[in-house]
Parts: sequence; structure tokens; C-alpha cells
Amino acid sequence: MTPAIEVRGLCRSFRQRGGLLGQDRTVVAVDDVSFTLAGGGVLGVVGESGCGKSTLARIILGLLPPTAGEVLVEGRRLAAMDRRARARLIQPVFQDPFASLNPRRRIRDIVAMPLVAQGDIPARQVADRAAEMLARVGLSAEQAERYPAQLSGGQRQRVAIARALVLRPRIVICDEPTSALDVSVQAQILNLLAELRRELNLTYLFISHNLAVVEHVATEVAVMYLGRIVERATADALFRAPQHPYTKALLASVLTPEPGLGVPDVGLGETLPDPANIPPACRFHPRCPVAEPRCATTTPHAIMTAGGAAECLLLEGAGKP
Amino acid sequence: MRQAGLVLGGVIVGIALLCAILAPWIVPHDPFLQNLDNRLAVPFWMEGSNPAHLLGTDQLGRDYLSRLVHGARISMLIGVLTVVASGLIGTTLGVLGGFFGGRVDDAVLFAITCRLAIPVVLVALAVVGLLGSSLTLVILVLGLLLWDRFAVVARSTTMQLRNLDYVAAAWSAGVSTPGILLKEILPNIASHLAVVATLEMALAILLEAALSFLGLGVPPPLPSWGLMIAEGKDYMFFSPWVIFIPGVTLFIVVLGINLLGDGLRDLLGAGDTR
Repeated sequence: MTPAIEVRGLCRSFRQRGGLLGQDRTVVAVDDVSFTLAGGGVLGVVGESGCGKSTLARIILGLLPPTAGEVLVEGRRLAAMDRRARARLIQPVFQDPFASLNPRRRIRDIVAMPLVAQGDIPARQVADRAAEMLARVGLSAEQAERYPAQLSGGQRQRVAIARALVLRPRIVICDEPTSALDVSVQAQILNLLAELRRELNLTYLFISHNLAVVEHVATEVAVMYLGRIVERATADALFRAPQHPYTKALLASVLTPEPGLGVPDVGLGETLPDPANIPPACRFHPRCPVAEPRCATTTPHAIMTAGGAAECLLLEGAGKP
Repeated sequence: MRQAGLVLGGVIVGIALLCAILAPWIVPHDPFLQNLDNRLAVPFWMEGSNPAHLLGTDQLGRDYLSRLVHGARISMLIGVLTVVASGLIGTTLGVLGGFFGGRVDDAVLFAITCRLAIPVVLVALAVVGLLGSSLTLVILVLGLLLWDRFAVVARSTTMQLRNLDYVAAAWSAGVSTPGILLKEILPNIASHLAVVATLEMALAILLEAALSFLGLGVPPPLPSWGLMIAEGKDYMFFSPWVIFIPGVTLFIVVLGINLLGDGLRDLLGAGDTR
């Protein structure tokens, strides 16, 4: 069976101007990322800020051309499709519902926009389908007449979801869909997304830095570090038995509700990684709490693990006597 | 207090627009009718004034109030048409440059730089010298030369918007590029452009008055305010009102337009987008 999404060797770098005297720098946001995702699955992509997860989302959406590599959706090359055909297959839900809705358009027009853009759907049907979708995400006909500024954050995110699903796409790219919302609203939106996935048989690429959210929704998880997927496993295996030291650190960094413990120390040091200056060999070795001298000289390759694969030299060593 | 400026500006501009539209029906006399027996009659606040000519008459005996009201017609016509023409040119260039960036933006920036290097009065002088003065020509010259601020503002605001998620969402939804520009970008920069439009309108009216004063604008006997000042300047020592009245009118109307623009900026800036 052809996977819903197949990503092959995706790379994306940006040139950063150094100004009058400085040197131009190349920022590598996504570095040779490959994965496949079966239809109906939810791939959670996690990692800290600047690890390239949003860039990956924008490439898969076709908002950003990759420097190398290609994206296949249901076996067809995304780059070869025109924008309207692509819109019928893949749709985004963005992070900030205050920035993702045009403030000058009514809710019903926002939701009808993808249908209108197709150009061959009769106006009558456009209105009906938009109204139906709005009702499905839990918004009233009266709210459809309003402008985005008159809705709450959670309601706006429902509008964004309705807009994404009104064309009945196969794949939805959720780029941190709940991180701009109040905690009380987050669960409602996550449940809505889960219900809709079952009903409409959707495939999600779910990007988040919130591990609790990913554990809740994802069937598979990819951990990104400085543009690479360093560990990939089924959600069960990854949360039960993380293999890569970075994944272990990420899981350990989750705040506990217990008072007095404060922010846990995960042994990563205090420097943030710089995507313009990626360390050689294993890119994680300067921050890795269990790094060995060989980590600074040898580039790790993906090693099969119980539930997936991870890129770490120590795992390679573990298999040998 | 902020609202006061907006209201005052709106009232002044409203009156000027009403005068411009209704001029032929509200004026007491034909503005072109000369009466050499009744030259330089004094306005109402001076002794010996004639109630039939509230603002007196000019050096050819034409009713000054009628000419002033008809002058609003010329000023508003020039102001509005210039803003429409320059707004279309400038907004189109600015939005295209800001949205596409790269080569397109380089070309737009080059066009703006070229435009800024052209002195408006010198071009008007040359064009009038070649083609003779007419109202159409003044509108054309100003309309084709005053688009730079529209372009700069449209370009910078479009650049801010093009990276917003709702533009990305429209792109992902398969909306065509013209559709995105017209429905996602344009409505959201319109408030900024409205402010520029008021500034440009005031500038166009002032420039027309200046050009007409120099004899390069509207040809006589059309009653342009600048032309009225120019024609009255020989009589200013004994009949100062002939330049005082159109001068003050010009000042008040331009002030009103600027007040309206400032008020609009505050109003739209505060309640804008989010």
C-alpha cells in the first residue's frame, strides 16, 4: 500500500546575510529528512525551537521549496501538482489562530475560501458545505456571520480546522495547533481533531514541542534535532523506552506538577544549538550527557531499535561485545 | 479629543465636496459673468458692501463667492482624480513589489527612486510648455507623478502581511495569486492607504494652486483658487480680500483634509486588525 506521505531526502538551507563586514552564513534548517507515514496515522514531530520542525511543515505544504529531496503524497510528487490539486490533498492548521484568519473576512467566507478557490463548485453547494463544516466543528450559523475578532481563541481554531477540512483533504499538517490556546481549550481542540480524524479517515502530521500532547494524539513520533530526525518510533515504544540520549533528555524535561521540584535539570547544559553552526560528526555530542570521544569524530547512522530507529553511536556499540 | 480633529476635518471636507458637487445650483451668480461697472466690490464685513455679492467681486466684476464655490469644484476634482490615478499606480507597484520580493521588488524600488528624482514642478512646466495648459493635463501630470508614497506604504505593509499565516492558509487552499492579493492583502492594507490618500489629496490641491498661480495649471477663466490668488495679486494693496479669501479657503480645506487623515490614522490604527 502506498503511504499517505513519503518524504525522501528533504533538505532546506537558508542564506543569512552577514551585513557589510560579516560573512554570509548558511543556516541548515532541515537536513536529509526521510520518512513515510501510512494513511490514518498520526506522526508527531517533536523537538526544541529552531530544530526545523516548522520548516519541514512548510516544505510539505508547498509553501517553501526544498533545496533537495521530494515529497510524495499518495505516491504522487507534490512538486508536480498544481496548487488547487494539492489543496484537495493536504491542508494546514496553524499555531496562532489570531494570525491565521484574515481579520477582514467573515467566518463563513473564510471557511468557504478553499471551495471557492477550486473554481468549479456551484455557489449554492459552496455555502452548504461551508455551513455543514462549521456545524461539524461546533460553531453556530450566527457565529458564521461574525468576524474573527469577535471570536475566542478556541473558536478561531475551530474555524481554522473547518477551513482545513472543508475540501475533505487526505492529510492535515497541524503546526502546533494548540500551543497558542488556553489549557482548558487545548483538550477540546485535541478531541475535535481526534474525532474528525476517525470520521474522515485523515492522516495527521502533528508538530509540537508539547510532549504530553504528542503522547496523547500520535501513533508514531519523530524527534528532530538541528534539522535531522534523530529518533523515530511508535509512540508507545518512544515514550516507554526512549533510545536516543536527546529523546531521553526531552522526556526528562517535562515539568511535573509536583511543587518544589522546579525545572528539572536534564544535563543538556545551558547553550542552545545554533543551526548556522552545526557540530561535526554527531550533531548532538556537545550537549550529550553520555557523549564519548568517538562521538566527535564519527557520524552516526540510523540503528534499528525496538519500535523504530535512532541515530546514536552508543546504540551501535551496545549490539557488539 | 482625537475624535474632534476627525469630526472637524470630516465637516470641512464634506462642505468642500458638497460645494464641488452642487456648485452650479447653489451659487448666486454665474462665476464667468463680468460686470465692469461693479469691479472690486467689497465683501460683507466691510462698509459699502452689496448684499448681492457677499464676498464682493473681482477685478472684472465677477461674483467672488460664486467663483470660490466653483473653485472647490476644480480643487476637489483634481484632488480626487489625482489620488485615484496615483493610488492605482502606486498601490499596484507597491503590492507587487512587497508580495513577490526579489527581482520584482528591485524593479519597483528602482521605479520609486526614479520617480523621486523627477521634480514635479519642472515636469509640469515642460509639459505645459509643450502642450499648453489644461485641466486634464494638470490631473495627468499630478496623477502620474504623485504615486511614490502609495508605492512605499503599500510595499512595506504588504511585506509585513505576506508572511502571516492567513496568507499561507489562502496559498495552501489553492487561492490564485490575484485572489490572494485582492482579498487577503488589499483589504488589510486599505486603512494605511486611506491615510496616504488624504495626504496626497491635500498635496495635489496645493500643487494645483501653486501651478495655477505660476500660470502652469488650470487656464483662465476657470475659477481655480490658485488662479484667483494670481489674478488678485496686482490689487492686493488696495483690495487685500481678493487674495485673502481664496488663500484662507485653500488653507482651511487642506487643513481639513489633513485633520481627516490624522483622525483616520488614529481610528484605524487603534482598532486595526488585532
